[in-house]
Amino acid sequence: MKRYLIALALLVVAGAAVQAKEHPGKAYVEKNGYGGPATCEAQACHPGSARKFLDTVHWKHASPVTNVDNLEPEKEYGMKNRIYTMCNGNDIVNNLKEIPPNPKTGKTKFTGCNTCHPGDHISDVGSTGTGAEAAIDCLLCHSSAYDYRQRKPFKDEKGRVVMGQDRSVKAAMAVGKPGVKNCMICHEAAGGGVLVKRGFSFTRETDVHAGKGMVCVDCHGAKDHKIPTGYDPNNWASDGIRVACADCHGENPHADEDNNRHVARIACQTCHIPRTGGAVAKDFTRWTQGEDGFFEPTTLRMEANETAPVYAWYDRTVANTPTFIGPKGSRGDRQSRIYPFKLYEGKAYFDRKTGTLLSMDFAPPMATGDTLAGVVSAAKTLGIKEYDPVPGWQTIYFGSSHLVTKEKALSCANCHAPNGALNFKSLGYADEEIRKLTSAALYFDKMAEKQKENW
Amino acid sequence: MRKVSGIVLLLLIAAATAAIFAPVQALADEIKMVGAITKIEISGQDATTATATLKDNKTGELVTVIVNDDLTLDKFKDHRIVPGDEIRLKYEVKDGKNISRYFRKTAGC
Repeated sequence: MKRYLIALALLVVAGAAVQAKEHPGKAYVEKNGYGGPATCEAQACHPGSARKFLDTVHWKHASPVTNVDNLEPEKEYGMKNRIYTMCNGNDIVNNLKEIPPNPKTGKTKFTGCNTCHPGDHISDVGSTGTGAEAAIDCLLCHSSAYDYRQRKPFKDEKGRVVMGQDRSVKAAMAVGKPGVKNCMICHEAAGGGVLVKRGFSFTRETDVHAGKGMVCVDCHGAKDHKIPTGYDPNNWASDGIRVACADCHGENPHADEDNNRHVARIACQTCHIPRTGGAVAKDFTRWTQGEDGFFEPTTLRMEANETAPVYAWYDRTVANTPTFIGPKGSRGDRQSRIYPFKLYEGKAYFDRKTGTLLSMDFAPPMATGDTLAGVVSAAKTLGIKEYDPVPGWQTIYFGSSHLVTKEKALSCANCHAPNGALNFKSLGYADEEIRKLTSAALYFDKMAEKQKENW
Repeated sequence: MRKVSGIVLLLLIAAATAAIFAPVQALADEIKMVGAITKIEISGQDATTATATLKDNKTGELVTVIVNDDLTLDKFKDHRIVPGDEIRLKYEVKDGKNISRYFRKTAGC
């Protein structure tokens, strides 16, 4: 415990020192203005950064994926091209564009999956070359004074849809390590609205790390803009670098050895993230018309911390079929541990002939509610000529690695009780084992002693 | 004696009725609406409160709410939330003022 406190104190001091130190080059920006990545690379400040950034998941929205079933080994996967039922579109079929006018109001709007891509849309997902390098919106992630009014799509004089950027001196003078809002501007609204997809907020009230003043990149610390990720069964693309609780907390994080024994087969998240949130189900075959006349996929939304996770063995490899995306693993496999997952069910169109899941261009249904027109448009983009769309459901297990709590972590009695948090039967335990595992006899003496100490 | 018992019975019924309807009244104070922002008023970067006016999609009426939560205030300050954005809003009426309890953009990617 003591060493963690010392480490934390050093981090705080180091953080304060970094913050206090002014970012070099401000005089240059004041004199010359800010012109995008070229300014960042001027005076040999960040040489080659822009070129390297083009090779990251944040730019490509895809990467090689080695732990998921039924993928083509030579192909890269990610938001660019995936077809699943949280986002039934992707950057290709649901490219940012102006949708057709709503018949009732005559109004139109810009929308598309790649709205969050940090380019200008002329240089889009996965683009390369000097034009792409120049189009990178560095300040979107690195400025604490970014004016988000500037980051709106518009049509240029050639009729092309362009994503605006704030390249003001004011924004450029406020550069630094990305703060929480720099990440959340895109990540909190993914999947169709605030907290829809992953369902976590990163605030003092909802996450113990945020409560200690930490920001996203304290755990997801980048190297050459390659950002570490965990092993969410539904988050396939990665920069090849991983992050885990043990990176900071070690393999024996508890003072109590009984708790430490659990670590070998129980992921930290299982006890320390007892709740989840976000959309639990969505129907892409039936869109709901809003008061503004536009349509959105019918979505069952839940708040952060509003739903209970499901628990399953997970060896960090993923079952992937048209109707199921989720963890593989078993009790008998020593690489597997029990993890919590957010369970999600999505309804979309499948091809009756092949059983494959079809994707959707959102522009037609958003304007008119005609979901099949969205399927037709997407199929045309992908060159699919023969298909027979039929509604069906897909189940997805989302990783649950945020909303971390210390105070409200599951304790002995939460799991080791009849009808407790864990369903031991579905986790592969025999009836006699379950009888022992769900008895207070397991922990009674110890908890009684603790209770006495606490009071 | 019979009269006293009658009064007690009446009081019990009144108490039970109050107990049943009190939570309903408390819930009824939270009002939900969806509407576009027409105006945001905030006094500078250090402001700890703001007012936002929204046009209710259903009724067309303008509703002004006081926003106190840090996250939403921050979004006003750096224009992540701006006039024109459609908002899912919950608010309660306290001392004659509409206090925002939930202020979220409806849009996402």
